[in-house]
Amino acid sequence: MNLEKLMRIDRRLIFLLIALAVIFPLLFPIGLPTHLSKPVQDTFNAVDSIPPDGPPLMLSIDYDPAAMPELYPMTLAILRHCFSRNIRVLVLSLHRAGPGIGEMATTRIAKEYGKKEGEDYVYLGFKPGFGAVILRMGEDIHGAFLTDYYNRPIGEIPMMREIHNYDDIPLVICLSAAAIPELWMMYAGSRYHQTIAAGVTAVSAADYYPFLQTDQLVGLIGGLKGASEYEKLVNELEERLGVDKKRKESLSKEEYEKLQVSHSKASAGMDSQSIAHLVIIAFIVIGNVAYFAQRRRKR
Amino acid sequence: MNLSPDPWVWLAALLTLCIYSFLYKDNPFYKAAEHLFVGLSAGYFLVIYWYNAVYPDMVVPLFKQGKLLCIIPGLLGLFFFFRFIPKVGWVSRWSIAFYIGVGAGMSIPATMQMRILEQMKGTMQPFFSLETWHVFVENPSLASFGALIGIPLMIVGVMCTLSYFFFSREHKGVLGGMSRIGIIFLMIGFGASFGYTVMARISLLIGRVQFLMSDWLGVID
Amino acid sequence: MGQEWFSLDRLNVLIGVVVYTALLLYFIYQAKKGKELFVRKIAGLEAVDEAIGRATEMGKPILYIPGLSTISDVATLASLNILSKVAKKAAQYETRLIVPCTDPIVMPVCQEVVKAACLDGGRPDVYREEDIYYITYSQFGYVAAVDGIMVREKPATNFFLGMFWAESLILAETGASTGAIQIAGTDAISQLPFFITACDYTLIGEELYAASAYLSREPLSLGSLKGQDWTKLIIGGLVLTGVILSTFGLRFFANYFTTG
Repeated sequence: MNLEKLMRIDRRLIFLLIALAVIFPLLFPIGLPTHLSKPVQDTFNAVDSIPPDGPPLMLSIDYDPAAMPELYPMTLAILRHCFSRNIRVLVLSLHRAGPGIGEMATTRIAKEYGKKEGEDYVYLGFKPGFGAVILRMGEDIHGAFLTDYYNRPIGEIPMMREIHNYDDIPLVICLSAAAIPELWMMYAGSRYHQTIAAGVTAVSAADYYPFLQTDQLVGLIGGLKGASEYEKLVNELEERLGVDKKRKESLSKEEYEKLQVSHSKASAGMDSQSIAHLVIIAFIVIGNVAYFAQRRRKR
Repeated sequence: MNLSPDPWVWLAALLTLCIYSFLYKDNPFYKAAEHLFVGLSAGYFLVIYWYNAVYPDMVVPLFKQGKLLCIIPGLLGLFFFFRFIPKVGWVSRWSIAFYIGVGAGMSIPATMQMRILEQMKGTMQPFFSLETWHVFVENPSLASFGALIGIPLMIVGVMCTLSYFFFSREHKGVLGGMSRIGIIFLMIGFGASFGYTVMARISLLIGRVQFLMSDWLGVID
Repeated sequence: MGQEWFSLDRLNVLIGVVVYTALLLYFIYQAKKGKELFVRKIAGLEAVDEAIGRATEMGKPILYIPGLSTISDVATLASLNILSKVAKKAAQYETRLIVPCTDPIVMPVCQEVVKAACLDGGRPDVYREEDIYYITYSQFGYVAAVDGIMVREKPATNFFLGMFWAESLILAETGASTGAIQIAGTDAISQLPFFITACDYTLIGEELYAASAYLSREPLSLGSLKGQDWTKLIIGGLVLTGVILSTFGLRFFANYFTTG
C-alpha cells in the first residue's frame, strides 16, 4: 500500500467512517456489557445512604446544553435514584446556561415519580458568582437565594424551613463540564467539610482522580460511560424496590416501553461509543505505522 | 420512520446539520448558524443575568427595600461602563482592581488548602508496604501488582514531574535525568487525558445522532 | 455571635500562605535590587519571534487568544504579559494583531495591554482598538466565531495562551487546518494533549508563567518565578520526608497537613 497516500487521507473519509460507526450500532444494537467502576459505585452508595424524607441531596446543575449528551443522562439517573428512594432534592445552578436544563430534568422526573415541588424537591434556579455563592450557602442558603426559580420567597417553601446551610445537606453532587467541582471542593469541601461528589464530562474526568484518592471527592461519574453505569445501578435498584413492577402495571405497554428506552439513553449510546473507539484506535495504529515507515524511508 | 411534527425539533435538527456542514468546508449555512448562535447566546445571557442577579440582588433591595449598601456594588458595576468615555475610562480600573482583589483573597487560602496541603498529604504514603507485598505474593494478579507498584509509581511521578517544572537550574545531571522521567509521566498523563477526550467527543456526536434519529426522524426509539 | 476570629485548625494553611508570600516578596525584592536571576530556556518561546516574523513576511494577521477564563485567573494574567510582548513586536513590524475575547473584563484589559505595548514599541499609530473585541460569553459560541475568523482571515500565526477548556482541540485543529504556525500554552492539564498534538510549540502548565517572566524580565515576574521554584523545592522536601516517615509507619508528619 502507498504509505504517502495513507498519510494524506482525506479527513472527510475519517468523519464519514466515525459517523457510520456511531449510526449503525444505534440502528442495530449489539448490547456490549457495561462494567461498573468504583468511583461510580461510590457515588451511588453516597446517595443511597441519605435517609428517605430526611435532609436533601444538593444537586448543582453546572453545565450548558453542549455537555448535555454526557451530563443530562447522569442528571436524570441521579434524580430517579433519589425519587425512587424518597430522598429529597435541592436543585440549583451556578452556570448561566444551566437553569433551563435543571428545570427540564427536575420537573420531568418529579412528574414521573409523582413528587411535589416544595415538599419533595426545591428548584432554586441560577445565581451568578460561583465561589461567592458556594461560600454564602455555607453561612445561609436563604441569604444566597432569596427566592426559588419560580420567584417564591425561600422562607415560604415547606422543605426549606429545615434547611439553612451545609450542616443540613448530607451530600452535594456537582454536574459540570468545567472546573466548578473544584470550586465546590475549595469552598464547600475545605471550608465547611461538605461531602462532595462530581459528575463530569469525560474530557475533565482525568483531572479529578487525584481528589478521589484524598477523599476530597467521595465519588465521580465520568462521561457517558459513567452515566450508563449509574443508569444501570438505578435500573437494578428500581427492580429491587419494585418501582419498575408498579410502573409496568400502571402504564400501557407502549408507554412503559417508551419510558424504559428513556431510562437507558446513556447505555444505548455505549455500543456506538465502543465501535467508534475501535475505529479511532485503528486509525491511530495505521497513522503511526505510516508515519514511522515514511520516516525510515526518508532516512 | 416517524417524523417529528414539532417545528422546534425541525429547527434544532436543521441547525445541527448547518453546523456539521463545516466538516465538509466553510459555507453560508454554517456561517448563518454560527452568527445565530453567537447572537442568541449573548441575548440569552443578558436576560439570565438581569433576572437572576441585577434585578433580585440590586434593583429590588435598592429601590424596593431601600437597602442603601447596594449602592456600592452597583456603582462598582457601573464603573465598567466608563470605558465608553475615554476621558474617565480609568475609573473602570477601580472595579477591575476590586474584582481581582476579592477573587485572589477568596481563592489563595482555599487553593493552598485544597490543591496543595491535601494533595501533599495524599502523596505522603508508605513507599513500600509489607501488606500489599504479602497480598501480591499470596495472590499474584494484575490488580495486586497494580496495588503494589501504584504508590511508588505515584511518588516517583510527583517528584520527577515537579523537577521538570523547576526553572532556576539548567536541566543537566540528576535534575536533567529526573525531569526527563518527569516528561514521560506527563506524556502518559496526557495520553490518558486524550483518550478520555476522544470518548467525550464521540459522546457528543452520539447525543446529536440520537437526537436526529430519534426526536427528528423517528427511526430509533 | 461567638465565632472564632482565629482558627487553629487552619494554622497550616496560614503558615503555607505566609511562607509562600515571604519567598515571593524576598525574590521580588532581590530582582528589583538588580540581582541577576537565572531562568532556563523555554523551547516554545524561541519560536515567538519567528512566528511574528512569518506573519509579517506573509502580510497576514496574528491571532491571539488569551484563554477563556476571567481576569482573576493566573493563566490569563500570564497570557496578558506575553500578549504585551507579542503586541510590541507586532507593532514594530506593523503586523495586524487580532484579539477576540470571551470575557467582558478581559477585553478592556487586553485593549490596555496592546495599546501600552504599541506605545512602548514606538508605534502608537498602529494600535487598532477594533481588532480587540468581545464576542460572547458562551463557550462554544465563542469557538464557532473564532473558527470562523481563522478560516476567513487565515492568520499566519495563532497564539492560544491562557486557560482553556473543551474548546482547545477545536481551536487548535481548525488553526492547524488553515496552515498557521501555532504556539499554545495553558495550565489546564486536560487540554494540554490537544495543544501538544495540534500545535507547533506548547508551553506545558507552569511554563506559561515562566514564559511570561522569561520574556518580560520584569522583577515582579522573575521574583515570583524564583519564589515558586523555592516553594516547589520545599514541597518536594516535605513530601519526601512524609514518604520516608510513612514508610516506617509514622503518620504524625503527614497528619500535620490535614486541614480543619
